[in-house]
Amino acid sequence: MPAEDFAPINSEWLEKAGNLWTTPFVDKPSERVIVDPILLSHAAALFKKTPKYFWENPDEAARMVCQACELYDITPVGHYLWADYWGQDYGAEIKIQETSPPAITKYPIKEPEDIDKFEVKSPEELKEGPTFKDHFKALDTVLEEYPQMFAPITQLAGPMEVATNWAGIEDVFMWMITEPEIVDKLIGKATEHMVNACKVTAEKYGANVMITGSVVASGDLLEREQIKRFSYEPQCKAVKNVLKAGAGPGVYYHLCGNHTNSFDLWKDAPMSPFTVVQVGNDGKDVFPSGKLVEHFGDRCTCFGVVDTKLIDRGTPRQVYDQTAEQLQAGKDSPRGFIIGSSCECPTYAPPANVHAMVKAAKDYGKYEKF
Amino acid sequence: MDIKISEEVANLLKDNGLKAEEMEKVIKDAEESGKKLESKDGSKCLAKAEDDNLTCYALYSASNGGFSLDSGYAHKMKMVGPTGGEFNVEAADEADWICKKCNENAIEANVDMTYLGVTRPGNAIVCPKCGDMYLGEDMVPTIKGAEGILEEKRG
Repeated sequence: MPAEDFAPINSEWLEKAGNLWTTPFVDKPSERVIVDPILLSHAAALFKKTPKYFWENPDEAARMVCQACELYDITPVGHYLWADYWGQDYGAEIKIQETSPPAITKYPIKEPEDIDKFEVKSPEELKEGPTFKDHFKALDTVLEEYPQMFAPITQLAGPMEVATNWAGIEDVFMWMITEPEIVDKLIGKATEHMVNACKVTAEKYGANVMITGSVVASGDLLEREQIKRFSYEPQCKAVKNVLKAGAGPGVYYHLCGNHTNSFDLWKDAPMSPFTVVQVGNDGKDVFPSGKLVEHFGDRCTCFGVVDTKLIDRGTPRQVYDQTAEQLQAGKDSPRGFIIGSSCECPTYAPPANVHAMVKAAKDYGKYEKF
Repeated sequence: MDIKISEEVANLLKDNGLKAEEMEKVIKDAEESGKKLESKDGSKCLAKAEDDNLTCYALYSASNGGFSLDSGYAHKMKMVGPTGGEFNVEAADEADWICKKCNENAIEANVDMTYLGVTRPGNAIVCPKCGDMYLGEDMVPTIKGAEGILEEKRG
């Protein structure tokens, strides 16, 4: 769908949504908490397109996301990314799938011996690579067609996530047991890559937001000490070096999945003035906003969450109730609060469920602190 | 006190809106009080002067019995204390600096920074003993970027 096929964005809505989005970062009073359901291919479903179409057409994907922001009255920012970024730049093969995000089918690192020979791409090489080609196509579309919805991001993920896009996750997990030093080396290279990738975004757009975190390295798969060694500590090193390289000032720590055994580590992670922390689950339950605010509220902006599974499979009433509960526990967090989904909004989640989140924010998300 | 400022550094000061006399005073005060950071290899010193609106830094080194100014920078966000109430020294990375006054290894830690009524964290170099806080030169673009956004949204 070319740009002319979309209805114009309402400027009054955009201004109001922009104010709601700004509040958590600069304490400028506004009416209520903003909702960010992390929309990606769900936006395509709203336009009767498939995930395959979404990820094969970054410019159209960006347009659909921007339009969906107005439709739902949510964070007015155009995004485009997927989890398995950066594999292709190093020789991985990916499959664009009909009903789910692109997935890696062949990894460049097959044996531990490959790690020594594996060379991290320079910023110049990454800039010309396949990941940035699509990423920039989407971001440039937002910049040109929806400039007020432009907030450039770099999808870094964490070092463990980058490493498992270079080598199969089962191999990396096995090496963690049999040859942990070789995994340290691999993670070190992932950290170096993260800095180089962020330099490219910073050079092209200036101020930007880096999305990092810990997804593969969660409590369901790893012990706290493993998360600390292979995810948290190298990630801290990467974020510091990224900030020192002039990227940022936005830092978004996305701790996906169960982080009961490790979330507190991030209290001391390097932060910039615009840092957001989001934790997905506390055991099997959604991570309570009250607990998030208790640990991070006096440090940075808190991103409270609604269970992605509930958004996908629950009723609108269940989504509404959980959103209301999370909002009431977190909305007046001292350094700002956002409510959203615990991870990407599922492609085929009922639109009524996303709307239920926004409805709850309107009913229960009004600030009392201003 | 003999303080040399090259043409290149003089231009940098101009770009950063700083005056040579300010930098000379920062160095003089630091040398008299001993309140400064010294790089672990002893080749550089970092000193600062704060007022209500600006924190100025002089990065300098010893040169022929005097000093040579290597860089000067400043930020408007005011550092007010440890983020979260206290520094977690055990979890922090050691910085490449020593607090000369305390003879203590400095650490890298989050500190609260305030500007235009907004308080948020930033990563700084801190003496775990006296709590003195410094912004490393490489963090200046991040903090300047944040100041710009706050001025646009809050100013």
